[in-house]
Amino acid sequence: MEFRSQKIAYWYFVAALPLFLLQVVLGLWLAVNYTFTVPQSVVDVFPFATARAFHTNLLVLWMLLGFMGGTYYIVPEETRSEIYSTALAYVQLVALLLTGVAALVGFAFGWTKGRPLLEIPFPLNLVVVAGALIFLFNVGMTMFRAKRWTVIQGTLLGGLVFLAGLYLFGIPFYRNLVIDWYYWWWVIHLWVEGAWELVTGSIMAFILMKLTGVDREVVEKWLYVEIGLFMFTGVAGTGHHYYWIGAPSYWLWVGGVFSALEPLPIMLMVIDTMQHVKRRRTRIVNPLVWTYAIGCSILHLIGAGVWGFLHTLPQINYYTHGSQVTVSHGHLAFFGAYALLNLTTFYYAMPKLQGVAVFDDRRGRIAFWTMCIAMMIMGLTFGVAGVLQSYIERVLGMGYMTAQSYMRLWMGVTLFAGVFFLSGVVLAVTDLLSLRPAKVAATKV
Amino acid sequence: MSKRIAFWIFLIGTLSSSALFLFLTFDTQRQVEALSHADRIDDRVIAGKRAFQKYNCNDCHTILGFGGYYAPDLTRVIRRVGAEGVRYRVTDPGKAFANGWRKMPNQHLAAAEIDDLAAFFTWVDGIENGDWPPQDSRKRLSRAGERLVASAAASPGAAVFQTRGCMSCHTLHGAGGTFGPVLDTIGARLSAGQIERYVQDPKTVNPKANMPAQTGLTDREREEVARFLSSLK
Repeated sequence: MEFRSQKIAYWYFVAALPLFLLQVVLGLWLAVNYTFTVPQSVVDVFPFATARAFHTNLLVLWMLLGFMGGTYYIVPEETRSEIYSTALAYVQLVALLLTGVAALVGFAFGWTKGRPLLEIPFPLNLVVVAGALIFLFNVGMTMFRAKRWTVIQGTLLGGLVFLAGLYLFGIPFYRNLVIDWYYWWWVIHLWVEGAWELVTGSIMAFILMKLTGVDREVVEKWLYVEIGLFMFTGVAGTGHHYYWIGAPSYWLWVGGVFSALEPLPIMLMVIDTMQHVKRRRTRIVNPLVWTYAIGCSILHLIGAGVWGFLHTLPQINYYTHGSQVTVSHGHLAFFGAYALLNLTTFYYAMPKLQGVAVFDDRRGRIAFWTMCIAMMIMGLTFGVAGVLQSYIERVLGMGYMTAQSYMRLWMGVTLFAGVFFLSGVVLAVTDLLSLRPAKVAATKV
Repeated sequence: MSKRIAFWIFLIGTLSSSALFLFLTFDTQRQVEALSHADRIDDRVIAGKRAFQKYNCNDCHTILGFGGYYAPDLTRVIRRVGAEGVRYRVTDPGKAFANGWRKMPNQHLAAAEIDDLAAFFTWVDGIENGDWPPQDSRKRLSRAGERLVASAAASPGAAVFQTRGCMSCHTLHGAGGTFGPVLDTIGARLSAGQIERYVQDPKTVNPKANMPAQTGLTDREREEVARFLSSLK
């Protein structure tokens, strides 16, 4: 830790980790709902819909906390100055956490906007917007005052402003369902395939630069090309969500063509990570951080790139749209691209924040492999269920519940893999909150 | 490649894609009016959409393919089960899904809210969205229709059973709904005459019957379906 205000990041990470755990626990409950018959009396009180709102909103909350914490960690080093106001950063953290708690309690009692992933009701939207403005002000002022601009922090700030701006499109009530979904995707798609990718790109570039000692010039050149391709394919690629919503049919072409290109920037990211690792100039201090970084780039490619590519072709999407195939893609992509990115950031920054130079990485290593293997299995079982659903319900035209009865076995296997995944998460969270110095210092070069 | 070229790749990539996207957004806004029949959106439809959101239906069901994947897609729900079917399920899910292995919460909607929901779904059913979902598509229905015409000559009663909504509630050899009893061997218990009377007004035969009187059938249709069912022994 070079700057005192980097300590802010520690509290953001500490807040994010239990939320990640809670998200996964609720995910298991959802899998139970798919596998077993939950009695009517339970369903009336705590329906699947509420649990799903918990699961997805916790995901967004812990990941945004992770991004913000990452930003508070990176910006001081990039600007070579302290954060503009530490107090504001903590105010914003508390505001965000309180909003989260209020939202979850509200959902349980039916206080919801009823739009998937954007369930947070209007008054809470305002708190989120206020929090985002404080955050952007704080980060922006730090950069502005330091007058030291780098591509990494520019991309980071750009991504965050873009992220906050898009959130506004999710707030109003839309009378027309078609228009509603049209702008819903401005938040969801342009977040995960636009703004979040910018944030990811810059955080990853920062960590790689620090870990490998490769020149800033080289890292930032790659970063420009990657985010350029992300934006080129991702923005117009939003069209792959507009195939069947009642929008004009040219979206079949625009969505199909641009999303076929979407794996390119991710592939570039894998290549660039490997290149940097190969040409590193510094000693590997904590090898586990590298494992997470490389795992992130590879699973990002599989989950977001390959799985996404597989079913964005309109001819395939006609049958797989809105089935468990989407769920398979969603889980692999979010875990690969964003959960692992956050975990990479945590494993990079937490030792420094806790004052442990070289940490004992045995627990973290087991956690990494447990989570990755379990998530790959889940991706496959969701995928099998999805293919069964597409064939039985969409191709053969048999009833929804008939298809579900054939999928039930695979949802059961998912539940089993989910327990496995949860054990990995428990291990990672405990490990990150209580890092221990390694007994023998790493000697690998 | 220099950093300068990399910067231009970034700038041109972002701007060109955004320009295309914004232009198409503008055009889509215009065309959606016609494609979604926005002129049919009245106060009832809007109230229905509000109810749909108020009860968080969308975190279990999908609509236009988006939402939770835990319950059937509602894009063509009116075509599939009719407004009456929606009302039956929403009013008392405990009863409607008593035999099912997946339940729906009872959220105690007011009757007016359910009517609004039905109005909303009726409007959604008209959205021209590339004939999705495939299981409810016109293409599929017309193919099913052709098969039906071919089989109708052999058994007109079976055709009535399939096309007039009996299967929304009753199952025949594994296909159909779970609300009503399975009818695989109904002919062993009831004669054609008894079935005909039951279908016309179930309450006269069994005062506790849940099945609504099938007033939409012609005499001929009722006679044919009764004859078909009585043959299942």
